[in-house]
Amino acid sequence: MSWEAEEEVAGKAWDGRLFRRLLRYAGPHRWLFIKSFMVLASLFALDLVGPWIWQASLDGPVQDALSSPEGTDTAPFIHDLLMLVAVYVGILLLQTWLRYFEVATLILTGQSVIHDLRRHIYSHISSLDLAWFDRRPTGALVTRVSSDVENLAELFTAGVVTLAFDMIRVVVVLALLFTIHAPLALVVTLMTPILILISLMFRGGARRAHRTVRAELARLNGYLAEVLQGIAVVQLFGREAHVGARFGEHLARYFAANKRTILLFALFFPIMSLAVYLIQGATLRQGVISIAGDELTIGAFLRFWLYLTLVVQPIRNLGERYNVLQSAFASAERVFEVLDTTSNLPTPSKPSPLGPEGIAPKVQFQNVSFGYLKDHPVLEKVDFEILPGQTVALVGATGAGKSTIVNLLLRFYDPSEGQVQVGERELTQVDLSDWRGRIGLVLQDDFLFAGTVRENILMDRSGIDEATLLLALKASGADRVVQNLAGGLDAEVAERGATFSTGERQLLAIARALAGQPDLVILDEATASVDSETEARIEQATGLLLQGRSALVVAHRLSTIQRADVILVLDGGRIIERGTHDELLAAKGAYARLHALQFELEA
Amino acid sequence: MRHKAPLLVGIVAIPLAQLADVLVTILVGGAIEKVRLSDNQEWLTRTLVLMAAAAVSHAFFRFWQRWLVVVVSRRFEVELKQELFDRLTRLDLSFHAKSRSGDLVSRLTADVEALRMFLGPGMMYTLGAVVIVPISLGWLFFLNPLMSMSMLLPMLAVGVIMQRLTPRLHVHSTAVQESLADINHRAQEDFGGVRIVQGYQRQESQAQRFARSSEQNRDHQISLGRARGLTHAGIHGSFDLTFAVILILGGLAAIDRSLPVGELFQFVDLTIKVFWPLIAVGWIAGMYPRAVASAKRVQTLLDTRSALTETDSDVGLDPQKTPSFEFDSVSYTYPDADSPTLQEISFELPAGQSLGIVGPTGAGKTTLLLLMGRLVDPTNGVIKCNAIPVRDLPLAHVRGALGYVPQDSFLFSVPYGDNIRFGTDEDINPEQLAVLIEQVAMTGEVARFPKGTDTLVGERGVTLSGGQRQRTCIARALARKPRILVLDDCLSAVDTHTEKTLLQSLREAGQGRGVVIAAHRLSTVAGCNEILVLDDQGAMADKGTHKELVSRPGWYQQTWDRQQKRASLEDNTGAGA
Repeated sequence: MSWEAEEEVAGKAWDGRLFRRLLRYAGPHRWLFIKSFMVLASLFALDLVGPWIWQASLDGPVQDALSSPEGTDTAPFIHDLLMLVAVYVGILLLQTWLRYFEVATLILTGQSVIHDLRRHIYSHISSLDLAWFDRRPTGALVTRVSSDVENLAELFTAGVVTLAFDMIRVVVVLALLFTIHAPLALVVTLMTPILILISLMFRGGARRAHRTVRAELARLNGYLAEVLQGIAVVQLFGREAHVGARFGEHLARYFAANKRTILLFALFFPIMSLAVYLIQGATLRQGVISIAGDELTIGAFLRFWLYLTLVVQPIRNLGERYNVLQSAFASAERVFEVLDTTSNLPTPSKPSPLGPEGIAPKVQFQNVSFGYLKDHPVLEKVDFEILPGQTVALVGATGAGKSTIVNLLLRFYDPSEGQVQVGERELTQVDLSDWRGRIGLVLQDDFLFAGTVRENILMDRSGIDEATLLLALKASGADRVVQNLAGGLDAEVAERGATFSTGERQLLAIARALAGQPDLVILDEATASVDSETEARIEQATGLLLQGRSALVVAHRLSTIQRADVILVLDGGRIIERGTHDELLAAKGAYARLHALQFELEA
Repeated sequence: MRHKAPLLVGIVAIPLAQLADVLVTILVGGAIEKVRLSDNQEWLTRTLVLMAAAAVSHAFFRFWQRWLVVVVSRRFEVELKQELFDRLTRLDLSFHAKSRSGDLVSRLTADVEALRMFLGPGMMYTLGAVVIVPISLGWLFFLNPLMSMSMLLPMLAVGVIMQRLTPRLHVHSTAVQESLADINHRAQEDFGGVRIVQGYQRQESQAQRFARSSEQNRDHQISLGRARGLTHAGIHGSFDLTFAVILILGGLAAIDRSLPVGELFQFVDLTIKVFWPLIAVGWIAGMYPRAVASAKRVQTLLDTRSALTETDSDVGLDPQKTPSFEFDSVSYTYPDADSPTLQEISFELPAGQSLGIVGPTGAGKTTLLLLMGRLVDPTNGVIKCNAIPVRDLPLAHVRGALGYVPQDSFLFSVPYGDNIRFGTDEDINPEQLAVLIEQVAMTGEVARFPKGTDTLVGERGVTLSGGQRQRTCIARALARKPRILVLDDCLSAVDTHTEKTLLQSLREAGQGRGVVIAAHRLSTVAGCNEILVLDDQGAMADKGTHKELVSRPGWYQQTWDRQQKRASLEDNTGAGA
């Protein structure tokens, strides 16, 4: 649950340090920001002119007409009024034009920043080492490039820019109120804190309530997706009513959370209008007295009244903006935490070359020890080599450290003690992309990406021609899988390769590895779900394809590795036996026992 | 419609709240007029008291309208979701096979939400507007007919603009949502498959793809921003235009002395109050087509019936006895597939006997097991249970007899123990649970979980290895005390030692029960009473006991020889069977 807590940390509403860092991303788009500010400033100025024209009309031509004796020619008053109306319409057109940019430019600005930021975070994350990925669920990482970045956009648009203007608006309008009528303005100024208070009180509640609703909704939808995924199990076990009831429990919690939010909003709006009415009532009372005392004109009263709306609206939005800022800063915190992480696998300053491709470099593990967690060694003093062209097999029970050796060989991690060497060079000093580019990797949890089958096999590697591709398909036995697809190689792979059986996915993954004509092939439990006929065919065909290349094979089943040049038997992170199949059987040790056990099962 | 009472009260509260709001404006306008005409302010207190009363009742009704209407709309949402969920879980597998799970999820999320928005907040705002607009306009008409009529034009423009632009907004926001989903999907894949991405050094090219998705999202967002800018400008423009009309006509009328200044104020203030409800109506009007489309999709799903017809005969299976099964030239073709997955399969499985199913990858072994559990009905042929066609038996009886272990080792993200308990309605006490865990050789591993059997399975708890998942699925099936155990290639990810333990306990659990095993390795099925060999076209290549099958040439014999040769390769250690 710890990362969930991390997701929901309530940040500060303002953090100067984070903001300055974010400003760097705004830098390249500064003209857009300046443009946004200018649009908002002009709009605000024009907003203030409107009520002033109302006052000018009422106190000017209308008042003049009403105070002149009945029957006077009204033409001059009408002329004055029309002049004012002309100005009013002019402002109106200008405002309407600006309002388009008020929204469009602000969004353009925010999105331009987001796009840069999102690419930056993505590239940074994908360059980090596996140890970092292991500690974080994928979902949390996805959030960094999706909703966290979205929140940051809000910081630039709905957050800082708009909030700054809201505050300016309240202060300027309140100041203007004083120029109209000081006692009246004092009444309003004294009451605005009430509005602000209500708005901020509501903010806290609304944020908590929304968070609960979001969390409950996520659980609800997660459960739904899970049940649909396992629908065959649900139906075969006759558990429709059971999952229905569980879904009902989720719904009930979701409903209760919603009710809290609704109650808050149902209370907020009426209370806010009550407070506004209160201000209006006080204004009316003071206004009537002042008008009667000839200290205030009716036009000025109307302008005052219209300005009130300009004060109330920003305050009403204050709570919401505050929440936006807060969640934006919380996101910024998380995003920068990622950006501040550097890979634990330092890149060599002068990477040594590995020699020409097509010739497998020698691989050596020298006294390698490693643990994913401190004080929990997974490998202890592991020592072996893979000579060019050799096939080395790793056997041992689950958790013996077989996959860890694969991880170290790929330099997903660096050993805590000892060295991994390739081609007589320390792996940490080798150009990693050169090294990994020579490896054909097939993992236990095969992985297909969205896209066509062809794309999944090519993996954007240049230099794989059609002939090599077809050869790899044939050698892996995946050609049969492809033949049965409507669209063949260009058929789309469905969500997580769901249309393929586990065995078929493994065949495609092997084809992917072989297509790159690798110097070293790593097969980590690659054929566990493939039938033995296909497995035998793969073995034969890859044998041909891999001539002169090295291979590291990890397997539970001994039958797959009997032809290996060297078999390493792992137990508890140590190599306890090594040799060929025959040597190990003759030694009558752990391997022989394992073999006997398996033989007993098979026969 | 359920929830009538609160809904009705809520609906009545809407006009009352609006009336009180209009009343405030009228009071203020009246006061402005009075202060001009009268010399004393004795009336002021009365006006203020009335205003306070109007304000309080507005707040009161406004609370109840939102509370009642929106809560009812949420209740409606919850009930509809439950109904859809229950419908979905009861639809047959061929329906699920041809629907993308994402589409079904969006029925319960996006579509239900569109309906709720339309019926709840939508109705609230529409009713609000339906009341305040005519009342305000009526009042203004009473004050000055010409002026109130000419105000209508710019106001109508608001509605028209909203209605015209909402579809455009909708198009762009859908595009934004889709491109966001694309970003999420890519990140999910690339971060989830980081071993492959980094192992193949694909960071650069994947980053370029991601940048393209991000760029697309940015462009859609900007288009959406432009559409929103247009809407925003249009609405405010027509609103400001209304004020211009009031200014010119009202000013002229005031100069003309035909309109008191206090009434001019009412025009201004009521226009402000009418503004938002009108926008809301435009917004709802734009939502309408979407809500109708959603309602249609939801209704279609509610009307969908399972292709598996339930019988009304009262023949059943004895829950104590192991039933027999018989397939009589059964063929099955998946919906939208070109070729059949299974062709003309016939066999018998007498009560308490075991059946092995073997064949190359993709031969249809899993489909055959799904047919046994009647998750789908055969396209041709008949499946019988105790000599009765399964179509004539209650579904629950047929499935109730089976304990199924799926190939994909599907588990729920719930506590570990609950995954095993999922198998049965009966209560499983901790001791029984421990026995089941022991049977699948997981005792040691479960003990090492942070909270034992209460540990959550999945990303937020323990991530189980493939072998651990398979064994848990077996325990779940055993929890049912099934009369027939159905094992779908469920030992591929466990190591040799564990496999031996498992097979042993499965043999014990299988005493007196029927067993059906699909497997890749022939040794797993060699002990079965009968073995079915499927070819890669899904047709039956051969059938017989292990002895018969190894003695005649064919796929089985070849495969057996190959596997034998490997298992016994130069075996001179004396550790034979």
